[in-house]
Amino acid sequence: MTGNAGNSSIKDRVNQLVDRTVQRSRKGFDYVRASKASVGLTPKDLIYDKGTLQLYHYRPIADEIYRVPIIIVMATTNKGYLFDLLPGQSMVEFLLKNGYDVYMIDWNPPTSKEKHLGLADYTQDFIPSCIEKVQAETGETDVSILGYCMGGVLSVMYAATHTDGPLKNLVCLTTPINWHEMGLMTHWNDERYFDVDRLVDTLGVIPGDFIGSSFEMLRPAQKIASRVRVWENMWNDEYVKSYRAFDRWGSEYVPLAGEYFRETTKDLMWHNKLFRGELEIAGKKADLANITIPIMHTIALHDHIVPPSASKPLLDLVSSEDKEELVLKGGHVSLIAGPNAVKRMWPSVNAWLGERSS
Amino acid sequence: MSDDKATTPTELFQEWVTQWERSVDSFSNKLMGTDEFTRAINSVQNTQLQMQKVFGDMMAKHLANINMPSREDILRLEEDFQEMNARLARMEVQLEKISGATNAVKSPKPKGPPRTKKPPSATKDTEAKH
Repeated sequence: MTGNAGNSSIKDRVNQLVDRTVQRSRKGFDYVRASKASVGLTPKDLIYDKGTLQLYHYRPIADEIYRVPIIIVMATTNKGYLFDLLPGQSMVEFLLKNGYDVYMIDWNPPTSKEKHLGLADYTQDFIPSCIEKVQAETGETDVSILGYCMGGVLSVMYAATHTDGPLKNLVCLTTPINWHEMGLMTHWNDERYFDVDRLVDTLGVIPGDFIGSSFEMLRPAQKIASRVRVWENMWNDEYVKSYRAFDRWGSEYVPLAGEYFRETTKDLMWHNKLFRGELEIAGKKADLANITIPIMHTIALHDHIVPPSASKPLLDLVSSEDKEELVLKGGHVSLIAGPNAVKRMWPSVNAWLGERSS
Repeated sequence: MSDDKATTPTELFQEWVTQWERSVDSFSNKLMGTDEFTRAINSVQNTQLQMQKVFGDMMAKHLANINMPSREDILRLEEDFQEMNARLARMEVQLEKISGATNAVKSPKPKGPPRTKKPPSATKDTEAKH
């Protein structure tokens, strides 16, 4: 009997192997011919458009929503549809279903006329203007902000310089604070060798490819390995669909305004002013100790872009009494739209924000 | 022997890919984490930028001499067109709003759902009382 069971198990495995090999060849052909993955499908309206800045409002889908709207501030280097990758793999969709009124600040490539934009424009003009638009649209004074990566940095800078502002809650996702802990990035941008002035003065706007190749150099084998894995999983439609969406997102880098890049390199990367409490923006001190509102910070344990040691100091530096840190397994991107995001990050943010959004 | 060890050729291949990725990343990170590497890539980058500037300036002068627009001129024109398109789109939206306002009775602005949702703890408390 054991022998028969063993034979049938081997037979099943061989069948599966043959079946998957056939499917791989057939679907692989479709994969190569396929157009770009459809992403960011949740219905939304563009309510404010100012050059590099775009403010979207996602149409509510719940019958009843929380009083306080939430504004997602996307990282300046990538497109915001990471938060709305695919139906079922979309944090925006999850928040809408759970009764939030969701807005998103997304970024277009800055034009050469916008090369002078700096941290002050982003934190003292763009974010406040968007908050005003949301207030006018909703009739509510309070807002919550959810900032991802560099979007989190801009959000904490805004919060630290607008202490009497309308910000009710702040959620930061993998936000770098101690820039001297950014691993290879810190090393490559070493003040002794990296001539940021020459780069910015020559190019004006820093190309997306330049930003992208820096990120990709951190994990040089990742792209090849992920392509091998997708071939391996070519029989699995769900895997391929998700991979194509991530792959599209991961190859669309947004260029950066030169002045913004220069200030980020000098003030944050070289002199670590945000961490040291020495950063001044438009004459205002952006000291994290000024932040007293409820704050939640989510850190990705295997983040190779913003290592936990770079993001961890945030909660120690703010003065908020109501603060919570969530450390999750996962990387910089999977934290937002990977399997652990669906299982843990989204529900945790929902549980935390839900108690503070009425 | 542990149960989660790879047994099939597919699993063995997957494990090999993971190991290969880890070892290449680890080796490259060590190499790229040295001062020599940082100095070298920045020096290459500076040279490229210098050449780009010199060639760019030269080409712009040459094109100006033969009354032709430079790449920068074309890009500026493209940006101007984009800006004009965006302005037109904004004007279109404004016009729609104005015409919507005059027909306000016919097409009232849809109101969103009520902002009355309570926090989960309040809902639980109410359920517990019942």
